[in-house]
Amino acid sequence: MTVKEAEELIRKGRAYASRTKYKEAIAYYERALALDPSNPSGWYHRAAVFIETGRNTEALADCERAISLNQNYSDAWSKKGHALYNLERYEEAVVACTRALALNGNDASAWYIKGVCLDELGRNIEAQEAYGKSLELEIILDMEAEKKKIGR
Amino acid sequence: MKTEMPLSKPIRLFVSQTENILDTEIALLRNPEADPNGTLVDVYTYNIEKNVILFPAHYTGLLKDFIIARHCVHLLIKGAAAKKSRYLVCSFTGGSVYQGIHQIYIDALKDEAKKEKKLPVTKLIQMLSILYTNFNDDINELPWNPITNARVYHRMPQIRKTQLYYLMKEGKADMDDMMEYEDIIPRRYFVLNKAMFYARDQYLAKTLPADELMPVINIPQMKKFNHLEVKEMLTTRWTHTSWYQSKVFGDTILEIMEKYLQKIDWNAESSLDYFHEIYQLGVRMTNHFISYMSMKDWFVWEPPKHLQDAQARKTEYVDEALKKIFGDLIEEHSADNTQG
Repeated sequence: MTVKEAEELIRKGRAYASRTKYKEAIAYYERALALDPSNPSGWYHRAAVFIETGRNTEALADCERAISLNQNYSDAWSKKGHALYNLERYEEAVVACTRALALNGNDASAWYIKGVCLDELGRNIEAQEAYGKSLELEIILDMEAEKKKIGR
Repeated sequence: MKTEMPLSKPIRLFVSQTENILDTEIALLRNPEADPNGTLVDVYTYNIEKNVILFPAHYTGLLKDFIIARHCVHLLIKGAAAKKSRYLVCSFTGGSVYQGIHQIYIDALKDEAKKEKKLPVTKLIQMLSILYTNFNDDINELPWNPITNARVYHRMPQIRKTQLYYLMKEGKADMDDMMEYEDIIPRRYFVLNKAMFYARDQYLAKTLPADELMPVINIPQMKKFNHLEVKEMLTTRWTHTSWYQSKVFGDTILEIMEKYLQKIDWNAESSLDYFHEIYQLGVRMTNHFISYMSMKDWFVWEPPKHLQDAQARKTEYVDEALKKIFGDLIEEHSADNTQG
């Protein structure tokens, strides 16, 4: 029951986060984590909100907690890359994004962050490659979004 | 600029440079409902404290970067105008709405005379207002489109592939624009609308014909464009539409466009003077378009606030114009609608 309750709280937190009501979202995630700290999703989603609100060190800690609970959690690796980028720890961000992409090669955001970090590190050729991959995926997503809009 | 979202280095520098030149702040915001072309809400148009560039939430990478770059160029033009002289837009008054709607009505009557199936009055009235508004929107947006695109192309080579995707997407949408009104709009206006976009595409095809604008061929939906560079895509697709007749008008609009835009050094360093000059050229080019399309009395150059107020009073202006044109008929029509 606790597990289900925690998932429901996470779902509510996400609904608030999508409306940029971050304070409320965090409150729900914290209640979920208090009920079930072994759910990596709760840590991941709280990390996402922490990033949106500029709390990058806390976001990084949450991503690491989520990853410690599930080593193959690609979104958590990707978000870790984002937090590290914001903390200007570019080398580590590249490593995190590379791991995210090994688990899910279709993560446009991870390719982009990887490209941005490689660019910052002066590794331009690798950066262009990552940007190219990110653009391809973004365009596919955009075309799908357009199709959905037409279908509506 | 304060943002927690990742931004590629050239865009980050470009946004900072824009802020420095204009001594203003730019906020970047994701929004699930944002227009696919993004939206610029700026301090030179609205009474707000900082500029906001909005873009769709699912644009997390280079698509977002391109939108930001293009809106930054537009912001620089608006800001330079506001700081060096006055920033004006094409607005309208009760009198100019009447001039526009009356002209469209006269042209519609000429078209209607040739038609076997006449357009119902309700639809005709609807069309007059829609068409006038559409041209007002286009005349405020279209002239700046080739300018912002050309500047981004020359100053941001890193995002040229993204730009190509955008040009294709935007061009397609503009070709489809007003198609639902095809049967009710006087042919002259339909052709002029298409001609403006045709000219824009031809200009961009001439200005941005670099090899690196080859399509991203790994995307299945874009495979059909394989081996076509941007120039071919922008030009040949017009030959495949029924609106190829727009070419005659479009070529003239293209000549006007080139006359003004050839004076711009797209690679020049950014400065207030540079963007102010671009603004002035853009205004002169817009006036030339208006004059060529015989719409001189349709619009007035006024500050953005005037346009916002005019938009708020648009229904009133349109009603007044319709009463002048249709007299009692429009009152009967309104009464019928109320009862219906």
